[in-house]
Amino acid sequence: MRKKGTFSHLKLSVAKDYLIPFSRRRMVYLGGIAALVFLTYALLNVFLQRSSFISNGPLSSNHANFESDCSACHTKFSSVTNEKCSVCHEKYGDKLGVYTFAAHYVYRSDDFRRLVPSENENSCFSCHQEHLGRDVAITNVPDSRCLVCHKFGSFEDKHPQFEFAHRQIPDNANLKFPHIHHVREVQKRENLLDIEKTCLYCHNPDADGKNFQPISFERHCDACHLTTSTATPWLKIKASQNSKPPGVETLQSMRQQQRPGLRWAFYTHVNEFNQRGDRIRKSPIYHKDPWILENLNSLRRQLYPNSGLVELLRSSVDVPAQDVRQLYLEAIQTLKEYADGLRARPESVVQNELAQINRFLQVAEKQLRDPYTPLDDTKFLLSTLEENPKFTKVQIKDFNEFINKLTEPCQKCHIVSNGTILRVQTDQRVFHRAEFNHRVHILQRRCLDCHTQIPILENIANSANIDHAIDNAAIQNIPIIETCKDCHQTKVTSNRCNTCHYFHPNKSQRSNLLLYLD
Amino acid sequence: MKVKEKIPTFWIAPFLTKKWVQSPNWFWAFAVCSALCILTYLLNLIVSEVQPYNTWGLVYGTLATGLVICVALYGVRRRIIKFTKKYRAGRSRTWVQFHVYAGTLFLLLVCMHSGFRVPTGALTWWLWFLSLWVTLSGFLGVILQKWIPKILTSGLSIEVHYDRIPDLIHEIKERAEKLIKTCDDPIRDFYRKNLAVFLAGPQARLIYYIDITGGIQSQTKKFNYINRFLPAEEKEKLHELELMYKTKLEIDAHYTLQKALRWWLYLHLPISIAVFVLVGLHLFTVLYY
Repeated sequence: MRKKGTFSHLKLSVAKDYLIPFSRRRMVYLGGIAALVFLTYALLNVFLQRSSFISNGPLSSNHANFESDCSACHTKFSSVTNEKCSVCHEKYGDKLGVYTFAAHYVYRSDDFRRLVPSENENSCFSCHQEHLGRDVAITNVPDSRCLVCHKFGSFEDKHPQFEFAHRQIPDNANLKFPHIHHVREVQKRENLLDIEKTCLYCHNPDADGKNFQPISFERHCDACHLTTSTATPWLKIKASQNSKPPGVETLQSMRQQQRPGLRWAFYTHVNEFNQRGDRIRKSPIYHKDPWILENLNSLRRQLYPNSGLVELLRSSVDVPAQDVRQLYLEAIQTLKEYADGLRARPESVVQNELAQINRFLQVAEKQLRDPYTPLDDTKFLLSTLEENPKFTKVQIKDFNEFINKLTEPCQKCHIVSNGTILRVQTDQRVFHRAEFNHRVHILQRRCLDCHTQIPILENIANSANIDHAIDNAAIQNIPIIETCKDCHQTKVTSNRCNTCHYFHPNKSQRSNLLLYLD
Repeated sequence: MKVKEKIPTFWIAPFLTKKWVQSPNWFWAFAVCSALCILTYLLNLIVSEVQPYNTWGLVYGTLATGLVICVALYGVRRRIIKFTKKYRAGRSRTWVQFHVYAGTLFLLLVCMHSGFRVPTGALTWWLWFLSLWVTLSGFLGVILQKWIPKILTSGLSIEVHYDRIPDLIHEIKERAEKLIKTCDDPIRDFYRKNLAVFLAGPQARLIYYIDITGGIQSQTKKFNYINRFLPAEEKEKLHELELMYKTKLEIDAHYTLQKALRWWLYLHLPISIAVFVLVGLHLFTVLYY
């Protein structure tokens, strides 16, 4: 039996004194030293203006110059405020607030009434995350930011159909244009074996290959259309300035009147006109032929006396809301031509008038140069459809028939409505809220792999006339969203929101470097 | 008779034995909290993005900070023992269980806060890395605390207090030398060549982690060899010497393994203090910037 005070076979003695528990003081000191090292390093780092230790990571390349100056972006106890971003990004005092939520709303809705400060205003940093590394693009906004408002789920899942397809909006080109016939003719004329090359004969890409340049008559149509043999029908000459039976003015009559905007009349050769009794015809005819347009204007003025500023335009006022500036530019150009025509007139009344016109033009041009002056397209949308009350129905019918006769060569391609040639929409971009880059797609897909709404491939060899219903200019020859989904799938090709969409509106105005200078 | 802490016997049973889980109640509480955290995170993934600075991320961060403060209280408990006794703030075991499970939950919340990504900033990287270090070293501690006492009690015949080991070895050595003086030359030579250095002080040997006896059979073979050439009365003295040798081997086993029990804390405690300070610094920078 073991004696008290001993243990084990060896009868080793038990402890005589109380054993003091193991002290952890040394560990606490060690921890304190480690903490002190971190704190000292952090403080030194901050005071040496580097702040790399407390930073959440390297800034993106665009902001790398601010890396040692936290206060360039951060405000004490207020995080990163939009005002700090504006120091650089809205230096020019952006009146519309390109970066604001309101501008985003307008961009999406085209509704300028919504251009007011929004309670949903986001902070810049909520989307543009910094400190993620030098090579990370802060414009690469995650989808989740968009999905806060746009409850679409993923692109494959619930992304809405393209608006033109969903609402079945026709192509508003305002042209009579059968694609198949033109492809066939161009292919024949240019000896093109590759059908896609035929497409590119007219659809000429921009320098970056992203979109296409507007179709131009001179480049794309002139070779076949309005050749020297094209002529107007025989047209009745107008008896007097405001005669009720409709008619055209002769070149001589126009020259004599010396109205503004008729300077072209002095450069037009009389041999282009052929007169038989009280009838006249013009051959050849040019694109935007001034004689036809002047007579068309004159007829319209009689038929729709309250046509307002439309007088100053060559074609109708139907432009997209964002392109109203184009109408003003065209009207100013016409006014300038009028002014030039009046310059040679010595009468003091005319010269006074001219001085007034010039002053007005200066003010108007200055306003137009400012990209943020709101423009009002309603000035062009006066009551053009209000026919002259002095005209009887028969007279109106006569006028319309005469207008159709005058514009018969034009109507081979153009649409004339209410005495106006409808404006051709040369911008072929259908997506207003998304971007599409043709260049990156052509590497993997041919034009007609996607543009299948008009059955070009199926009918190109068919010499018979193509049914107007399957080939006309109103058909949007654009793929629907399902075609995009063939490739843009998760884990295949990017289907993130910012692959196609921007949050901020069109950036074209930001390319004006003058705006950035103080 | 009240059955205390009945251990469940379904799929997790092989793991959930008394050997590994001292208190199933704590374990289940931890499992429920972890499951809630993971479900919240999955919900977060569905309805929003995972970012440390959005509401979700800030909630994870705040919870992690709160937990790390509570977990650290275990460290100061010994300093406020009067207070804890006065207000019945739980038994030591309860505090340990909370320390272990809440510490693990802290790491889970830290990972959720960082979106299970390695942070890119220096401070946040260190904070993330040291949090991982502290938790993993804590796990190591838990494993050591469970494993070492078990093998020490199961494979050795004596139990000694770590701080008493040098005294006990000194006592053995004194006894051995006293015995040697009464022995003949063969045992004296044997002691001088084989045992004197061995009994000089405690020796930590890695073999004890694999074999708690320290290979006692092979170690004592040398005694058998000399034993054959000794007269009967000398044999008894050699036997006593062998007993001392075996006891020293066992004490060395205690020394080696108890040393690990004490020294793992050097991996855990100082870094925990550093983490605590870095959490403060992180909070300050978040609020300030």
